[in-house]
Amino acid sequence: MGSESQIPEWASTPCIMGIDEAGRGPVLGPMVYGCLYCPVSYKKTLSTLEFADSKTLKEEKREELFESLKADETIRWAVDVIDPRVLSAKMLQKNKINLNEISHESAMGLVKRVLNMGYLLTEVYVDTVGDPEKYRIKLTERFPSIKFVVAKKADSLYPVVSGASIVAKVTRDHALQNWNFDETAENMHRNFGSGYPGDPSTKGWLEHHKHSVFGFPSLVRFSWGTCESYFKGGVEVLWEADEADDDGSSKKTVKRQTKLSNLGFTGMKRKSEDIESSGKGRCKFFQSRKLEQLSHF
Amino acid sequence: MKGESIIDLGGVNSSSAVDLTDQIHQLPCCIKFNGPSPVSHYFKPKSTGVEVDALNVKEAHFRGRKLQGTTVTLPHGYSGFVIGKKTPAKRKASDTNGGMTDSWQANAKFQNITLWNHDNLPSKEDAFLRAFHWFDVAKALHKPVTADDMESASNPGATSTD
Repeated sequence: MGSESQIPEWASTPCIMGIDEAGRGPVLGPMVYGCLYCPVSYKKTLSTLEFADSKTLKEEKREELFESLKADETIRWAVDVIDPRVLSAKMLQKNKINLNEISHESAMGLVKRVLNMGYLLTEVYVDTVGDPEKYRIKLTERFPSIKFVVAKKADSLYPVVSGASIVAKVTRDHALQNWNFDETAENMHRNFGSGYPGDPSTKGWLEHHKHSVFGFPSLVRFSWGTCESYFKGGVEVLWEADEADDDGSSKKTVKRQTKLSNLGFTGMKRKSEDIESSGKGRCKFFQSRKLEQLSHF
Repeated sequence: MKGESIIDLGGVNSSSAVDLTDQIHQLPCCIKFNGPSPVSHYFKPKSTGVEVDALNVKEAHFRGRKLQGTTVTLPHGYSGFVIGKKTPAKRKASDTNGGMTDSWQANAKFQNITLWNHDNLPSKEDAFLRAFHWFDVAKALHKPVTADDMESASNPGATSTD
């Protein structure tokens, strides 16, 4: 999503871009990466447009500024909306991808998209929560022709990043307001508050929407530590993907997991976690197809 | 030796039997729960349009994990059954093995199953689908030998003439 009008003439002149994110911390909803770009020569005008860190602006002001930047012929914008299902899935897959990596890929995706459209990006300003220098090197290696400025709190230092933060924040707010639940359970509602784990509305929403078997609706980021406390007393679910978890704290799970895949038919009473048959002790044909003979169950 | 298990498949072949075709899923995890659950309200498989090994790939999420799966029709002549333990009726005196007989009955029947992998695309090399190979092997092993088969086996060079 982003500006859809034709490529302006200024695209071929040196351009600057700001990149910022909204919804990194919340336990629910999408994480949005937004960018704003314009000619280098527009930098001065940009600083007169009242763009400020989106967190310091009231919702109406953010909406108003978003509308005005959309109408500005010398400004273009784009967003990458990362679905909570994608966040959960990537962070919980066998080869787990952490949030920083997802964030970096998203930001780089925006740069690539704008370059591919034909804009001559020469300076890109990026907000980060991680180590700015490491991130700057990563970005420079990927896009050698661009000068990157990576800084913590860049959204309050550079107007072009403030603008990007407004784009990202308004997009996330709209995505939440218009969220269509995949789930069709009864009594679901959208009073999820800010989505931050400490927000009383968010807490109430999570408590109301938890389910002992399914956990939560897929709006929730299952990979967030916050979810654990809500799962207490819920149904335990074991995954083979967690086997590779080297984290010492989850040793108990690891042990049980190993059993799940290695234990075959031993003649002992099967435990509920020994879900897989193995064909152990039979000829290879059966073993490789996990076919075992059951005379009693 | 343990006692025998008896499975009664009668009753599911009538038209009033519960048919769970399109509703049976095999998940790549262990859910430590047995009982009813609002599956259709939370578990929403979607077609991806992708095809692997001529299998239509579906996508779903469970507990934040992305699952990729495919629905396979059981081979012709085979059915799947959901069986449950029969509540013991009055035991006859002739039941000599003293309650060692396990009695099960089929509660529902199904003609397809959706197999789900975590992270991996479904493939015809997945163990569950490979298990279907046994059907052909079993057929070859147990097919009655006809007189013609005997004939051709004892006279390998013989050709049939009219």
